[in-house]
Amino acid sequence: MPRSQVGRDTDRVDGRLKVTGAAEYSGDYRAADLAHAHLVTSTIARGTITSIDPAAALASPGVLRVYAAPESRLALYEVTGQAAGFTENYLPLKSDVVRFHGQAVAMVVAETPEQARDAAALVTVTYDAQPPRTSIADEPHVPAGPTISGAPSSLEILAPGVGSIDAALAASDVVVEAEFHQNVQHHVGMEPHAILAVWDGDQVTIHAGAQIPGPYALAMAQRLGILPQSVRLITRYVGGGFGARVVLWSDTPLAAAAARELGRPVRLVLTREQMFTLTGHRSHLTQTVRLGASRQGVLNAVSHRSVAERPTTIAFTMTPAHSTSDALYRTPNLHVDAQVAVLDIPGSRAMRGPNEAPGAFALETAMDELAVATGVDPVTLRLRNQATAHPATGLPWSSKHLDECYRLGAERFGWAGRSATPRTRVDGQWLYGTGMATAIYPAHRRAGVVARVRLLDDDTAVVSTATSDLGTGSATMVAISGADALGIPVQRVTPEIGDTLLPPGAPAVGSSGTHATVPMVVDAARNVIAELKRLAVTADRSPWHGAAVEDLRYERGILHGLGHSLTFGRLLTTIGSPGIYKESAPGGQPVPGYVHHSFGAHFCEVRVNRFTGETRVTRFTTVADVGRVINAKAARSQLVGGVIFGIGHALLEENHLELDTGRLASSTLADYLVPVNADVPDIDVVMLDRPDPVLTGPLGDGSEDVGTGSLGARGLGEIGTVGSAAAIGNAVYNATGIRVRDVPITLDKLIDHL
Amino acid sequence: MNQEHDAGPGRSGVSRRNFLGGGLVAAAVTPLLTGQAEAKAAAAPTVDGVAQVTVRAAVNGSPVTVRVDPRATLLDTLRERLDLKGTKKGCDRGQCGACTVHVDGRRVLSCLTLAATTTGREVTTIEGLADGDRLHPMQQAFVEHDGLQCGFCTPGQIMSAVAMVDDEGGADSDDEIRERMSGNICRCSAYPRIVDAIRDAQQVMR
Repeated sequence: MPRSQVGRDTDRVDGRLKVTGAAEYSGDYRAADLAHAHLVTSTIARGTITSIDPAAALASPGVLRVYAAPESRLALYEVTGQAAGFTENYLPLKSDVVRFHGQAVAMVVAETPEQARDAAALVTVTYDAQPPRTSIADEPHVPAGPTISGAPSSLEILAPGVGSIDAALAASDVVVEAEFHQNVQHHVGMEPHAILAVWDGDQVTIHAGAQIPGPYALAMAQRLGILPQSVRLITRYVGGGFGARVVLWSDTPLAAAAARELGRPVRLVLTREQMFTLTGHRSHLTQTVRLGASRQGVLNAVSHRSVAERPTTIAFTMTPAHSTSDALYRTPNLHVDAQVAVLDIPGSRAMRGPNEAPGAFALETAMDELAVATGVDPVTLRLRNQATAHPATGLPWSSKHLDECYRLGAERFGWAGRSATPRTRVDGQWLYGTGMATAIYPAHRRAGVVARVRLLDDDTAVVSTATSDLGTGSATMVAISGADALGIPVQRVTPEIGDTLLPPGAPAVGSSGTHATVPMVVDAARNVIAELKRLAVTADRSPWHGAAVEDLRYERGILHGLGHSLTFGRLLTTIGSPGIYKESAPGGQPVPGYVHHSFGAHFCEVRVNRFTGETRVTRFTTVADVGRVINAKAARSQLVGGVIFGIGHALLEENHLELDTGRLASSTLADYLVPVNADVPDIDVVMLDRPDPVLTGPLGDGSEDVGTGSLGARGLGEIGTVGSAAAIGNAVYNATGIRVRDVPITLDKLIDHL
Repeated sequence: MNQEHDAGPGRSGVSRRNFLGGGLVAAAVTPLLTGQAEAKAAAAPTVDGVAQVTVRAAVNGSPVTVRVDPRATLLDTLRERLDLKGTKKGCDRGQCGACTVHVDGRRVLSCLTLAATTTGREVTTIEGLADGDRLHPMQQAFVEHDGLQCGFCTPGQIMSAVAMVDDEGGADSDDEIRERMSGNICRCSAYPRIVDAIRDAQQVMR
């Protein structure tokens, strides 16, 4: 009797392909008569192109085309409507306008990748440059506008009789005010963006890494001026997303338009350097948090303001207080406000925990400062201020076990023995300290997701939905959910994802893939089981021919009834059917009246070298409340990876925007530092595994034919990243007595104060 | 492993004679490449005005002869000429480790290795690690410990780890594994599970 794999450790279904090098990423596909493209990028941030000389490149061996802005041969069109939210607002190579440093200004296509790259270096470009707008401090600030989910970027809630947030703060016993800065951060997926475009008449097949396959293909169709059904996007293996593969950037349309114009398949692979300007980044950011509280640390006022960049080429609203300061703590007076400054900077967009990671760094650092100011233990302080209703809307949570995260985390970590006084733990040249912080991330159900379940005559099943597996383990999640729903072993379920020919799948963004997919898999399984029963009573050769559907019960892959028992494969074989399939209904919105978040608590220990200021993370414990866990193994890996993203945020990652040129100073992995193995201790991650009874629909009571064990899940791709940087910063304060509000916490910010 | 290794040069670096496409070539070289690329190379000693060099190496145990531009990297030659796409290009400048392969058992960054320097040598890529359907213990350990997420850096991580154990004698502690695996970046940050996998695989391999 198979037991459900839900919540257990399951090896990835694609693990074997990945460890043998057999998994094919976008740049691994080939086509007959393939031509290779290479981009030339701008060396100014704002202005116009006055000339591009392609002669030397054209004379270079193997060169087929040099496309140069403004280019008339490439047919590219505006993207409008909903799809416009998933792409940039200019047509690449179509005009002489330069909007940012590192924009594509020419593209060489040649017979080999080396010939294209070599010739691209021979293209000379002259510009009429204008001074770029580069300072978020000096450029005019304008309201950020609503968030992607439609929430206002500015909000003020005041207690009766309170005139303003400033008045509420002034009336508080203890006030903490702190300003936070962070520089540009990059996603740095290990796979550089790669595109293969192959046309067949007016149909194009695109191999490219995409987090939201459906809208990506839709935007692509509009960009190319063709019907949506003329674009097939294949995105089976993706070398990391983290937000950089949400948007249809300039690379994919250029490759596809060149392939169409040239009449040959074209492959374009960005260099690592080009990845830093052409595929998005996390905006640099200034935040001000003000907390007003009683002497016992009970919050009376929370104010969280931010200023982020607004590139001219793409709309993205950075609202760091969203789902952090407007959601985390109970307060009678709340004020959040997000402003942006229009800059001539490469497009910025969501990066893992887009608002919440920087927002929680600011809020949770300020909370630590409040703990210091009031003398209340940081965990006690948070429990004392825990919200039981969502502060901005007053709605209850569908499921919230944050208090348990704090208590269990504190116990596992050994928080109790902590000294609140900085610089009290010294071991040789190292100062030791501990810190903690809260994690929170919204859980949005995504509408329109469809899954298809197919039962085959060999007693296996295929579960299909056009979501994307960026390394999250979503393919394995689909298999586990399908296996649980059908009551058969995971090994008998084949997941099919990453292809827009499949039913529309969940976006692999916003920690939503799992909770958007699971209910649709269950629904499709329910439908196909009903279809199986219908066939069983209507098919001529079925032993149940003529019986009533109510006489049959499906259990663990077997139909029972009236003294007969047949596996679905056996029944299909008996009646001569190779297989049957059914789709789910399209996913809807969650039931109204609730807010949905995942929660967590981070605890960490750092040591700081007394002489050099070098900071090392030595211990880390995270307890996460993420609803039902589908695959404990992959879930733990993703949470651990999220925490390590936080180590990068806290200690390593930043790119400086040069104010006079608008150039991002770092463009390689030697000068944009991400965590490596030696930066990372073992990380203790625990998941509470408390199913969310509301988000994905009723959890079921076992009376149905279909298994509902995978319902109640919430996504967890980002929760590990939210708050982890603050926990590290707070530990650095505990170790050294130095409060660094400008991340990353590099040794130069510590050494003069040690 | 391929017996031709015995006829090749020692493991101490690349000799000038090898680099120049010279004499210490393994016996019984069978051209594996067929089709357009090989035909073009055979017909033209120069391509685009550049004299091509003939590389004769053992790749994953099979003798390979290929004419390449002297500037061609081992990475591009493996991926674009020999159709061995398991080796990944993450940065093309020796900073990420995704392209790690073995040359005579040592881990090297194939993006910083000229294909022309591999004549007479044994090149092993991720495709050459398993024994038929039986995974190498390191591959098996990466699957079991979930030492990967997106999988793009994984071939490089595994090749690096195998050489760290086989060629360099392995690591005596988790911290030593971390230090010696820090040339291989994993942005998904499977690092703790990579350490677990290597610790286990090392026991089996030793």
